[in-house]
Amino acid sequence: MSSYIERPRYFCSLGGALSTLEALPETIPILHCAIGCAGSIAWAQNGGSALQVGGYCGGLAVPSSNVEENDVIFGGASRLQEQVKTTLELMDGRLYVILTGCVTEIIGDDIHAVASEFSDQGVDIVAANTGGFKGNSYYGYDLVLSAIAQQYVKEGVPTKKGSVNILGIVPYMDAFWRGNLTGVRRLLQKLGVEVNTFFTYEDTLDNVRNSSAAELNIVLSDVYGLDTAKTYEEVHGVPYITATLPIGPTASEELLRDVAKTLRLDVDVEAVIREENLKYYKYLEPLADVYNDADLQKYAVIVADVNYAVSITRFLLDDLGWIPVITQFTDVLVEEQKEQITKKLTAAAPLQSPRVVFDTNASEVIRYINELYPKRAPDKYAETIAPAFVIGSSLERSVASKIGAPHLSVSFPVSNRAVLGRGYTGFDGGLVLIEDLLSSAVAAR
Amino acid sequence: MSYLQNREPPKRENRLGACIVYGGTLCNLADKGRRFSCLRDGSRSFTQGSICLLLPGISILNTLPDNVNLVHGAVGCGACSHSQNANTRSGGNMRTGSVRDAIWLSTALNEIDVISGAENKLYNAILEADRLYRPKTITVVVSCVPSIIGDDVDGVVDRAQKEVAARIIPVHCEGFKTKIWATSYDAIYHGMARSLFEDPEVNEPIIKDDLYEERLSYQKKHTVNLFTVSSMGLADEQELTRYLNVLDQTVNVFPTFADTAKAYTLKYAGLSVSTCPTHDDYLLEYLREEYGVPYIIRHMPIGIENTSEWIRDVAAHLNKSDVAEQLIARETAELNAALDQYRSFFKGKRVFISAGEFRALATANLLHDLGFEIAGIRSFHHDEFANVEYEKLLKNASEDLIVNIANVQPFEEANLLKAIKPDLFLGHWNDNSTATKLGIPSHTIYNSGLAYIGYRGAFELARRLYRQLANPAFNRNLSKYVQLPYKEDWYGKNPFSYIKSGLDVPEDYISKEETAL
Repeated sequence: MSSYIERPRYFCSLGGALSTLEALPETIPILHCAIGCAGSIAWAQNGGSALQVGGYCGGLAVPSSNVEENDVIFGGASRLQEQVKTTLELMDGRLYVILTGCVTEIIGDDIHAVASEFSDQGVDIVAANTGGFKGNSYYGYDLVLSAIAQQYVKEGVPTKKGSVNILGIVPYMDAFWRGNLTGVRRLLQKLGVEVNTFFTYEDTLDNVRNSSAAELNIVLSDVYGLDTAKTYEEVHGVPYITATLPIGPTASEELLRDVAKTLRLDVDVEAVIREENLKYYKYLEPLADVYNDADLQKYAVIVADVNYAVSITRFLLDDLGWIPVITQFTDVLVEEQKEQITKKLTAAAPLQSPRVVFDTNASEVIRYINELYPKRAPDKYAETIAPAFVIGSSLERSVASKIGAPHLSVSFPVSNRAVLGRGYTGFDGGLVLIEDLLSSAVAAR
Repeated sequence: MSYLQNREPPKRENRLGACIVYGGTLCNLADKGRRFSCLRDGSRSFTQGSICLLLPGISILNTLPDNVNLVHGAVGCGACSHSQNANTRSGGNMRTGSVRDAIWLSTALNEIDVISGAENKLYNAILEADRLYRPKTITVVVSCVPSIIGDDVDGVVDRAQKEVAARIIPVHCEGFKTKIWATSYDAIYHGMARSLFEDPEVNEPIIKDDLYEERLSYQKKHTVNLFTVSSMGLADEQELTRYLNVLDQTVNVFPTFADTAKAYTLKYAGLSVSTCPTHDDYLLEYLREEYGVPYIIRHMPIGIENTSEWIRDVAAHLNKSDVAEQLIARETAELNAALDQYRSFFKGKRVFISAGEFRALATANLLHDLGFEIAGIRSFHHDEFANVEYEKLLKNASEDLIVNIANVQPFEEANLLKAIKPDLFLGHWNDNSTATKLGIPSHTIYNSGLAYIGYRGAFELARRLYRQLANPAFNRNLSKYVQLPYKEDWYGKNPFSYIKSGLDVPEDYISKEETAL
């Protein structure tokens, strides 16, 4: 492992927490950090979140205590207190959330004491320790949602039968967050389930507050959102299941079956699945000619975060029928997570499972490709990676051009696409992904 | 310059008396500041997040070819590179014909590093980066965390320098240390000046014969260092280069996209010219003291008059005033003819401007020249270099023009815009969404892909503003359905209510504006 991370594909925990709050309805973040943190995060979203920056209270509009050298020496709590007071006067929201950055975390300001002063006066205010050195933005999502689950979400609410919360899709880190959350909601609504996704236009702050009433939390990730789900389980007694981000038919079917079984729903799941498949394949029907005539099956190189690396590799294996040869994870993961994830990426014989690589230095992928397809003395019968396709972030354009492959950006950073409502989840999302992949493959046609 | 002996440059609050808090009128700013200088800085009881010196610092470093930019800090510091990379890619492509992603790395400090220090991690990262990338330079950008935990970064750099082929340039960008992000230019120049201006492969002749002296003097006579900044793109560089070529000069463009050869060449130029006085004084003074290269730092070549003045200053130094006057006469005649079609359309339209100080003021004077009425100015900081532009503004705007000095702070901006209701807004990168959500036609005041500088920049800006004003449907439609995050009663209040000092609002400001609301 190297002593640095190459072009980190995430911000810090403060950045992830802030992005999460920017997506939450009627919420005002209050940063307790140095002056540049908000700007750094806004510039990162600008370049990585497919042209989406901030939201209702984001970008450089975010209240921030902007601590200085004096505060570092004498402590910044009084500055924070002043900032919270003025924020309440000025900023129009219903939930206020204090987040720490590195500087205030190291000097040890007691943000919880400041928060409780105001909550005693009846203000809905949460404090979360998110100092940037604690981890990356995916972890920041869990830190702030866990704090909200502990400090804001109502306790002792009776369980509402057939209602679920969706966790694991991180706003702005997943450029397709709105489309993906909406896709999941639509998918689960086919079972008659009430779905709380926290961050879309259809969600409300009241639903966040009452989210402890859910019968089940569904974590659509092997890593992100797990800590939040555990917090809900401990504090509110809401159990959780984990599932692969459901891109396309196979993963969607698994999720539908899993949820129906866990919630013991009185629904004919197989009939729902059959109906969805009929629709899905009706759309694919006219593709049958060109797909085969143009030989659009590819070897795939996937370089992505946990959610996309797993779900896209599975989609290509199970649904589209491509050959994933390398799947590289760019997150920092522990051994146990690596083992568990690797198991999910096996292929059935005669197909070989993709080579699974855990390396935060993404440009190393070319080395892994060269290892799989060593350059030998001229051999016209050598195995090569052609025809290849690279799926990753916009930074994988360089490896794609090195191996002469078309490319699609899906994982952060997505600098070369504009995303507003687009999403890849559900049966419909699978069709959208096929459109995007094949559009890139035939761009020169 | 004595500053160079120190590990870090001083912050601009100390060096230039720069400030970030003011709200009042142009006239009062003039009086208070004893002709705009030495404002006592104040503070706000409510503040919004902004940028720190790390961001513009990294944006310049990311353009350097053959450089690895190693950010020493938590994993989020340096994430701004994701947007800056677009400039590195397109700027590199336009200049060299090949697209290249910036190489930035992070030491990604974690909780263990915070407790036990991260000097070894940095040392190893420098060695690994040198071995993998074989760059000519490694810039080590120091963010808040190493500074607070007490890492001796310069000590590590000294130690690592002996082990690597690349030149290591430490750049101190601790965000909590200064509110003036323009300090980043000093930080970069400081690092470069300390370690990059002597070419290790050049052997000066032991006996400097006449031919050597002759060659050097010819080179000095015909070479100008042109200091660009990350907010200027290739189109702007080419525009200024065009004028300098007419004055029989070869142009050494520095520091954006400049390779090490350009750094080594700086001292062989006969003159250094700044394009933005907010940026360059620190290095220009050093080059003069250390290498005897004189400099000009006065006008920003934005706007017709400013561009002409900028050319005149350079030409006077080169004894080429007659050539310059011919160039200016020809260019301005051509430009004014081309601008005619826009002037009547712009006439009397009220414009509000928000940007880095010099850029805001220079652009204001240009827009006045194009027929706009200046309705309000926001500068991100104030220092004495801008006084020359304020003097011009006094001629072009009314004395009770509202001037707001703020490191962005969109809440003050929202209040001002609601009261002033301008027809057009020009704002800094990341500073346009407030006006946009209010439905005001908006245009970015800098974007390195667009032209702003010189005569051509004036024309291109006019074209773009015409286009924005001709169809502002995007902003207008958005404003019908999207809200700013401020409470409604904020808009009736004094926009500078949260300024604790540095406030200078006329007594009757509120009553005057209330009638307008």
